[in-house]
Amino acid sequence: MLRYIIRRMLGVPFLLLGVASVAFILSQSTKGDPLSALVPERMMNNPEIVNAVKAQWGLDQPLPVRYVVYMKNLVQGDMGTSFNTRRPIARDIADRLPATLELVAAAMIIGTTLGMGIGLLSARFRYSIFDNAARGFALLGSSVPIFWSGLIMLYIFSVQLKWTPGTGRLDARTTPPEGGTGFYTIDALLAGDWPLFVEAASHLALPAFVLGWSVIGIVARLVRSSLLDALGQDYVRTARAKGASERVVLINHALRNALIPVLTVLGFTFAYLITGAVLTEAIFSWPGIGSYAVAAARSLDYPAIGGVTIVGATAFLLANLATDIAYAWANPRIKVGG
Amino acid sequence: MSAAGEPARVGPGRAGRLLQFLDRLPVTGKIGIVVLLFWLITVLTVQLWPIADPLMMAGRRLQPPSGANWLGTDALGRDVLSRTLHGAAYTIPVAFMVVVSAVIIGSSVGAAAGYLGGWTDAVIMRAADVTLSFPPILLAMTVAATLGPGLPNAGLAMVIVWWPIYARLMRAQVLEVRTREHVEAAIAGGAGKTRVLVVHILPLCWTPTLINATMDFGQVALLAASLSFIGLGAVPPSPEWGSMISEGAAKFYSWWIAFGPGMAILSVVLATSFLGDGLRDLFDRRGPK
Amino acid sequence: MNTAFSSNLRKQTLRSGMLLGTVSAMFFGTALAAQDTLVVGRSMDVNSLDPARAFCDTCQIYLTAVYEPLITLGADNQTLEPKLATSWSNNDDFTEFTFNLNPDAVFSDGSPVEASDVVWTFERLRNLKGSPSFLMDGTKSIEAIDAHTVKVTVDAPNSEFLNKVSAPYTGIVNAEAAMAGGAIGDETAATADGAEGWFLENSVGSGPFTLSKYAPEDELRLARNDSYYGPAPAFGEVVITQIQDSVSQAQALETGSIDIAMQIDADTAKSINNPDVTTSIVASFNFVYFAFMPGSEAMKDKLTPNVREALTLAVDYDGMLEFTVGGNGNKIAAPIPNGFPGTANLTPRSQDVEKSKAMLAEAGLGDGFEMEAVYPNDNVYGVDLNIMMQKLQQDFAQVGVEVKLKPVTYPVWREDMASGSADLTAVYYAPDYFGSGQYAAYFAMTPGSTWVKRAGYKSPETVVNEKEGEIYAAALAASGDQSVAKYEELAKEMMADNIIIPLVSPNLVLAYRSDITGVRYSACCNLPLAEIARK
Repeated sequence: MLRYIIRRMLGVPFLLLGVASVAFILSQSTKGDPLSALVPERMMNNPEIVNAVKAQWGLDQPLPVRYVVYMKNLVQGDMGTSFNTRRPIARDIADRLPATLELVAAAMIIGTTLGMGIGLLSARFRYSIFDNAARGFALLGSSVPIFWSGLIMLYIFSVQLKWTPGTGRLDARTTPPEGGTGFYTIDALLAGDWPLFVEAASHLALPAFVLGWSVIGIVARLVRSSLLDALGQDYVRTARAKGASERVVLINHALRNALIPVLTVLGFTFAYLITGAVLTEAIFSWPGIGSYAVAAARSLDYPAIGGVTIVGATAFLLANLATDIAYAWANPRIKVGG
Repeated sequence: MSAAGEPARVGPGRAGRLLQFLDRLPVTGKIGIVVLLFWLITVLTVQLWPIADPLMMAGRRLQPPSGANWLGTDALGRDVLSRTLHGAAYTIPVAFMVVVSAVIIGSSVGAAAGYLGGWTDAVIMRAADVTLSFPPILLAMTVAATLGPGLPNAGLAMVIVWWPIYARLMRAQVLEVRTREHVEAAIAGGAGKTRVLVVHILPLCWTPTLINATMDFGQVALLAASLSFIGLGAVPPSPEWGSMISEGAAKFYSWWIAFGPGMAILSVVLATSFLGDGLRDLFDRRGPK
Repeated sequence: MNTAFSSNLRKQTLRSGMLLGTVSAMFFGTALAAQDTLVVGRSMDVNSLDPARAFCDTCQIYLTAVYEPLITLGADNQTLEPKLATSWSNNDDFTEFTFNLNPDAVFSDGSPVEASDVVWTFERLRNLKGSPSFLMDGTKSIEAIDAHTVKVTVDAPNSEFLNKVSAPYTGIVNAEAAMAGGAIGDETAATADGAEGWFLENSVGSGPFTLSKYAPEDELRLARNDSYYGPAPAFGEVVITQIQDSVSQAQALETGSIDIAMQIDADTAKSINNPDVTTSIVASFNFVYFAFMPGSEAMKDKLTPNVREALTLAVDYDGMLEFTVGGNGNKIAAPIPNGFPGTANLTPRSQDVEKSKAMLAEAGLGDGFEMEAVYPNDNVYGVDLNIMMQKLQQDFAQVGVEVKLKPVTYPVWREDMASGSADLTAVYYAPDYFGSGQYAAYFAMTPGSTWVKRAGYKSPETVVNEKEGEIYAAALAASGDQSVAKYEELAKEMMADNIIIPLVSPNLVLAYRSDITGVRYSACCNLPLAEIARK
């Protein structure tokens, strides 16, 4: 097992190199004129300006040279400068990363707790109306296009019912908390600022729910089936024979063993949530990496596209790695991927 | 075996056996099949249906659902229901092509990796790992942005995203099956490498792929719609479901514009989900082949 | 069981306590914060905050609030009024302009605004060769006569120079402070200046606000300039916050989280009926147009002037207004906005399908042909270009012309424009200042101009109209009614060219909370923030 973990972890730098190279190649081959973002149109026929810009942004070097320069910079944390924002991409991403992490974390909490709750109750009352309704709700969450459900939720809860505030992380008038984590909710709590916490949490609630809804299904299904498996085991039958109530049986005996597979799926849900975050952020004007990626893709800001892809892939890779390791630990006989 | 003189056994033909097999699906699985059949028929025949032209005006713009337009009209006065039905002809075939291509490419490559081992295996699996390291939507977005807008380009982007899954799946199956007795027997009998692979191994490996492909069909449709929603997929005036929802989002107070395509996508995803689940139950019950 | 019951009770008490606390905190919190901050919601299109590089709609708002030009445009969107210059004069043939600066004007750091700052600012604007640099085209010399007098000499008569100087892009910069931040203004500026990043975090102007914080695609925060020499603005803080689309802006306006929404389209505006929100519709000077590219690879020799005329007759202009802006806009004749000099007597085109078909048949194209339209996939001033082009597609289909639509991103669009691969395109234009000359400079078919290159591609001589250059020069040399007459002549020539076909001048929907006053649309400055107050 240890050998497996070590082997997988040794593969990470190689994978990162591969990811960065692919991101670089893709972003270099974009259709469209990268100069158009850098040189005003009226100046395009002025060779002096065009050449100066090319030199400044390194666009006049041959591809292999650009690749080496890119990799060298990347290792030092420099992902280049965004055509759109004119700032270092690393800085843009660092600024926006906490917003995405906060959203994904909140969504994961909502998704896993609701998923576990639904899975537990479904196993307890299997085939009841509740079971079917709950599983239907979970299934709906992962099947409906997130950009559609987001809009509907926004309309219902924000415009009609006014239960949640509008888009964005905070009211525009409010100054964000100075914080270590960048998570507005946590920073506000740490600063003891209760109204600010409430505001941040209420802005977070709807997008986190919409995003979390998409993974409730996975978690619920897994909890339900592993609970049902556990409930069929010998030690459970023994407990029942001894007279323990169904509730005790469920919680004390089956749940503990059923939780292990759930841990393995956490990594998978995290990876899944990163994907959903892109669309959710676009709908809710959430200033995270997802909306940054969409803006970059739309405007062919190719350094930014490359930067976001690398960061996203890194997070994804690590999440998958954690999942695989957890899975291998839970099922030592099975090796994933070979 | 029938000896001479005994009456020939009359049993169901292949189609009959297929129907019997499908009959054992749970109810949800059957619903899934019906829905998918509906969309398949729609794709093949919608051009002939006596409904409004999806590209021309059918009424005043932004009208709510009424007797004349069951799902209302959009910003250009086009009938939403008609566009939704015609939209199937964009999303469904693309999803189908993407899944089929990903399965063919991925499975071939995975089978080769599993069977040949060594360097082939290592290279292919590394490539798959790198591709799988990208969040699907980011990779699809990046490739689509590189290639330019248009449904074919989005389709290509999605094939690139999806092939590694089938490569891995097929490889795992091949690795498992190739250690079985009948395979060793075939090799001992002198069969060539290719023959062993094609005749003895592959026929036993397709079950997980089939189940996965069924469920992926819905996921691909979803991703295609997402790309169009961002603006990297289908091009107007095509009534593709994702771009219809995008137009609907811009005129959100006219909720019906996004309702048709939204429900359509939902139905496809649910149908493939149910069917895939049903198939999995069915194959599990019969035990691994 | 006792323990279960009391624990449930405790949970319930806790929950209701939290709910009460939440509600009161929200109310209390927001009530306090609402006083001093103005929140404007829009889709930010900021390309830079450097006054010599910034060139976008949001930039106009920012630059007007933070920097001040010598002259500004009055509330009637026509009359020039003093800003940093209290008075000005020019010579008879419009080649020399003298400005007298306000001796009381100071920059945000307290230092006085002097002629040397004006000279430095204008030279940097010209030398940096950025997007707004064209405003200083043709300036021969910019001199400081004394500490408060500046004289600008241009190499050809230009009666519009004073209007140009009212554009927010010519806002005067604190030269010393900017140079300390790394800005360079001399001839080497185009290649040597590196202050773009510095300007993202610092503002050094004399306007009523200063830059407080900028987060790209998220928000732009301005703070009141306490050293401002003029009347203090009502708000201590202004936040321009990113909200992408019209519907979300409307929602935010209705819930009160923004005070002003800048890009609500007419359809959405109609569905807001909330006493706390005021919407008013004003005519704007923006317009959306489509353009023929007769020089493209596929259209060589096909898009003759007669064919182009025929195609313009196929367009359903009234329907176009209905489809793009729900009727909330105006037709427009030439690529010069309604209300600008020279447009008063022009007649917009109208549809005549029969004549169109006849003319096409005469040209031998009675069976129709195909065209490819490449345009930016964008939604501007309430017009979704996709919708507009689909309507155009429907109209052209009636006369047998099939248009294939290819919406693309801006970078791809610019490349396609330069490479002769598109036959048709569509885009928009907003004025940089009040004056018709900018339209002549951009849209007229004078040799070497942007549109001649695009429309003509490898055979520019097929689209060039020599007369237009002459008329434009004459307009610049004249003033008053004479120049208006010249612009009218120019407008008619441009209409006859049938290359640029404006379709819609969308009305602007001003949407704001009912307790806000002073919101107006300005042809130069978009939204002057200093005039806005809360009742």
